[in-house]
Amino acid sequence: MEKYEKLEKVGEGTYGKVYKAKDKATGQLVALKKTRLEMDEEGVPPTALREVSLLQMLSQSLYIVRLLCVEHVDSKEGKPVLYLVFEYLDTDLKKFIDSHRKGPSPRPLAPSMVQSFLYQLCKGVAHCHSHGVLHRDLKPQNLLLDKERGILKIADLGLGRAFTVPLKSYTHEIVTLWYRAPEVLLGSTHYSTGVDMWSVGCIFAEMVRRQALFPGDSEFQQLLHIFRLLGTPSDKQWPGVSALRDWHVYPQWQPQNLARAVPALGPDGVDLLEKMLKYDPAERISAKAALDHPYFDSLDKSQF
Amino acid sequence: MRSFSFPSLLLLSSNCCSNVLSLTASVSTQTSQTTSLETQNQAKKMDEFGLQEPHSLASFQEYNPDTIPDLFASESDHMPSHNSLSCSKDSDFYFAFRLKAISLFLQAQYSCNLDPFIPYLAINYLDRFLSKRDIPEGKPWVSRLLEVSCLSLAAKMKNTPFSATDFQRGEGFIFDAQTIHKMELLILDTLDWRMRSITPFSFLPFFLSFLDLNDQTLAKALKSRASDVIFNAHNEIKIVEFKPSIIAASAALSACQELLPLQFPSFKASISSFQYVNKESLFKCLTLVQEMMVNEGYESMFDTLSCTTRTAMSVVDRQLTKSDQRQNTHTSSTIIAEKRDSKRRRLNGTLCSENRFRLSHHFQKC
Repeated sequence: MEKYEKLEKVGEGTYGKVYKAKDKATGQLVALKKTRLEMDEEGVPPTALREVSLLQMLSQSLYIVRLLCVEHVDSKEGKPVLYLVFEYLDTDLKKFIDSHRKGPSPRPLAPSMVQSFLYQLCKGVAHCHSHGVLHRDLKPQNLLLDKERGILKIADLGLGRAFTVPLKSYTHEIVTLWYRAPEVLLGSTHYSTGVDMWSVGCIFAEMVRRQALFPGDSEFQQLLHIFRLLGTPSDKQWPGVSALRDWHVYPQWQPQNLARAVPALGPDGVDLLEKMLKYDPAERISAKAALDHPYFDSLDKSQF
Repeated sequence: MRSFSFPSLLLLSSNCCSNVLSLTASVSTQTSQTTSLETQNQAKKMDEFGLQEPHSLASFQEYNPDTIPDLFASESDHMPSHNSLSCSKDSDFYFAFRLKAISLFLQAQYSCNLDPFIPYLAINYLDRFLSKRDIPEGKPWVSRLLEVSCLSLAAKMKNTPFSATDFQRGEGFIFDAQTIHKMELLILDTLDWRMRSITPFSFLPFFLSFLDLNDQTLAKALKSRASDVIFNAHNEIKIVEFKPSIIAASAALSACQELLPLQFPSFKASISSFQYVNKESLFKCLTLVQEMMVNEGYESMFDTLSCTTRTAMSVVDRQLTKSDQRQNTHTSSTIIAEKRDSKRRRLNGTLCSENRFRLSHHFQKC
């Protein structure tokens, strides 16, 4: 670790602190992520081994933050602790949206930029899904941006399986629920790729609105936010919903016009958003299919 | 009890692992003791990832067409560096070392009843490690430590409980857990933590899909035969230097030549014209694989094991598949399946005669 000079703490990842650091030899900026994956009496735990190598495999995609290497240092107790060394990107989508909402010159994100970021996000998600991996915690903070090159990369991936989706992060910061799919909120244990597509839909809407689509502060409130806009789901619309573990009797809201929630978005965009926010996970559009949606017809795909 | 200093003996060129090696580990030698290792079966499926097990580790899984370009693009990261194995100046040492390691891994497979993919993966790690680092000659304990650690990592990747301590019983050296863990870290660093090796098995279902077989029994027999060829080819050092996709294509082709000779020419044409396949390399590898299959020599390394059953079985197997490929491919696939089964059941070679009996029985029936 003496290879790196720690510059500043840049965040609290779900699984630990993240530092911006400089590789002393090359000057390259990196993000150092300390994991809680400690060696036990079995040496490198099999989960850590398999997840880090999974991350290594996935990070070959341009739309996934690149894992540069893995370092290990002995902790005070003499047990090696793993650090993941990632490429460093200067901003994330949350900060980027914030800078367009407040600050000196508030302005919407250019529609072509929203389109390009969403396309890259779908590319990255499709890559993970084709390799059999769910992200399960997609949110603007986890989408890093290279502003100069207009590139978006998915971060905080892979380590999701060593622990279950946490309600509180390592530092007891409340983990955001805003992007969580209704089936997860309702206690479904057999969820699939749809959970990520729901998050992608929420992120899409947020880029257009410059504020979150469903800003709930508890699981219950989160569901109510969703139901108020999309209507309370029925078994007809979403077979089996009332049998989910955390289902209760909710007020019966009628679906609102989604286009009104995203006034700046054209009809193709609204159609794609609707497909991402389908209640029945089986009906939700896949990342791969989303890439072929007419919303992206005007995008120059040769650059990706 | 002898004590070795870990860092001074393992000649390390890289400095990235200095922290691993800053400690001195001790190794003890032990007089051989014959303990028959009890089997602990662990046919545990890897199901804890989000969807299905990612392609590269799944040995016999159907392929996902979306990952094929990625597989071809990154396969070179998962093979020994070019020109580093048989061409190196120490190729004799390396060849002998590899052969010994393979026989040790096969022993582990039989005695611990491991999934055959575990020793396969361990050999892949070993080859890649040796293509990047030198290990000192004349220090058998270093080699043994490397072998045990590769096997332990491969078992972890397959989520299979594997006790290195149990395994070492009866072997010349016993390493403490800490020493093995340090070696594991050194291997991980050397291989950049790319432990989900892309192997020929990652490509096999894809190439077999070119044949468009409707008969599931036939498709299974073909896959099983091609898999056997891949397992055998891994022992052949000349073949290791080919890309995993090329080895998979050659295995699929040679299995087709045996079982479905009529379809072979068109299968060969479609594989060799596939965009990611280098024709020249494919034909070279195919020739080697075909030679390997007719040449009994490739099996001689199994003589290092105490039992020659495998050779006998393979010969019988080949004769059978050749003689009845036109009429009854089903029988040959059953034999192949049984052969694998009996291999798994064999402990310390004591079941040799029984196996031979079962095979000759089949032979007579056919």
